[in-house]
Amino acid sequence: MSTVFWVWFGIAIYIAAGLAIAVMARRRLGAGMSEFFLANRKVGGFVSALTYSATTYSAFMMIGLAGLTYLSGVGALGFELTYLCGMFMMVFFLPRYWLVGRKYGYVSPMELLSDRYQSKWVGATAAILALVFLVPYSAAQLMGVGYLMNGISQGAIPVVAGIIIAALCAIAWSNIAGMRSVAWTDAFQALIMIATSAVVLGVVVAALGGFGSFFGKLESASPGLLTVPTAKGAWSINMFIGYALPWLFFLISNPQVSQRLFIPKSVTAMKQMLSGFLIFGFIYTLISVLWGFSATLLVPGLAKPDLATPTLLSLPIIPMGLAIIVMIGITAAAISTIDSILLTLSSVWARDIHKGLINPRVSERREVRVGQWVIPIMTIIAFVFAWWVAEQPGNAFEFMIARLSVAASAGLLMAVPAIFGAFFWKRATAAGAIVSCVVGAIVVLLFQITGWKPLGWWPGTWGFIACLILFVGVSLATKPPRKKADEFIGYLKQKLSEGRFI
Amino acid sequence: MSKTGWAWTWFGFLLALDIAIPWFVLTHVEKMSGAFLFWTIWVAAAIISAFVIFLKWKGAKR
Repeated sequence: MSTVFWVWFGIAIYIAAGLAIAVMARRRLGAGMSEFFLANRKVGGFVSALTYSATTYSAFMMIGLAGLTYLSGVGALGFELTYLCGMFMMVFFLPRYWLVGRKYGYVSPMELLSDRYQSKWVGATAAILALVFLVPYSAAQLMGVGYLMNGISQGAIPVVAGIIIAALCAIAWSNIAGMRSVAWTDAFQALIMIATSAVVLGVVVAALGGFGSFFGKLESASPGLLTVPTAKGAWSINMFIGYALPWLFFLISNPQVSQRLFIPKSVTAMKQMLSGFLIFGFIYTLISVLWGFSATLLVPGLAKPDLATPTLLSLPIIPMGLAIIVMIGITAAAISTIDSILLTLSSVWARDIHKGLINPRVSERREVRVGQWVIPIMTIIAFVFAWWVAEQPGNAFEFMIARLSVAASAGLLMAVPAIFGAFFWKRATAAGAIVSCVVGAIVVLLFQITGWKPLGWWPGTWGFIACLILFVGVSLATKPPRKKADEFIGYLKQKLSEGRFI
Repeated sequence: MSKTGWAWTWFGFLLALDIAIPWFVLTHVEKMSGAFLFWTIWVAAAIISAFVIFLKWKGAKR
């Protein structure tokens, strides 16, 4: 039987298993927004850790990060580990989100902002930011699946076919039982991701003669890739900050991950979620970067760095069965991220835009239905964007998966000062939050589109500086919601002390 | 300084090392024992320090 047959067979098994899990999850589905979008805040520690991991780590890792390592070396490791170091901030934010989520019943992170700043427009502004900037991020996932299937089948499966399969799975798994089906399928997919990537890295390293020999070959064949900046000039400090700054605050800027801070059922589950994720992230990052380095030795000179993983998987040293299992693992990573993004965006639309601005008296049942309609609409938009990007010629660096993902996060970064203000600064105001988000996002978009980098600083860096100055300046010039700020921060202060949080 | 203040200071220190060591100390070390090893140990330190803090958490009454 041909490779193409086994690729389709593997995909069919994966889809069947995912659907079975999603349908099982549906049996426990109750009614209401909190139930559909947050699994009623009763997710255990193990599943919380795995859904957080699968949502965070996507096709970006084994394709985008591996491609970036292949192209630019060890700076890619530093950039991705800076994100993981940023997870240290979970010791501040996880208990805060969790406590106020339970106290005030927030469904989306934007609803938290609306309530804290006493303005629906703050939540709506952050919601629009997410709707705009998560499209390229979702598209990057779809592209990852498309490239992978195309590469493994050696061109027999068109890129667009992979994009369509990923899009349909994401729609199904987010619609069947909301957070419950997404969390359960995420857990299943996270286990596939880490197990398959570890096994295939082991096979490649063994083929290179073990870790000692692998590292030795790397040092002699590509020494310029092991320093920053690299011999070819990549990873200047400005480039590193441009990449790492949006990633550093990913845990609060990306609503699909910050929404997960509402779901653990207890403090014990929170601790399990955080410890599980940190261990998962550490291992998975090292695997992805070493995988990219192994590609520099085994398949040098590729025109498109994002094809490093598919090309490596199609080498004869990797048994076909294993290559297909790894392809499924990476597909799982992509789909588990897209379905989480879709679910979050649908909750954001339903709660913060539809209920917040259009129809405040809408019933919860209708709200859930509105959210469910948003899922296919957002998928179509991401699909069109992914298709357009995949059709771009050559090795355009601008359209690499890693670059697209970082560009998206640079836009989302503009909500970060408002989020910090909500938890830590009583003087913060709605006007400050709105102006900083809007102007910061415009700066990022303008600089991204024009490619302008004054002083060599990247769009996210300029946007963040503008955003921060405006947030503080406008807040000081306007009147804060003093009563709500006192109540919100006062409640947290008391509960944080009781729970020995910091 | 409060525990929260110490934790933010420690985090800031880690971020300063993130730039200072690879670009100013290890920039000519073209080996796996250079920036690669530094970043691996550096993030392990960040993870361990997070564990030290959150393992003390206990259930808060609503």
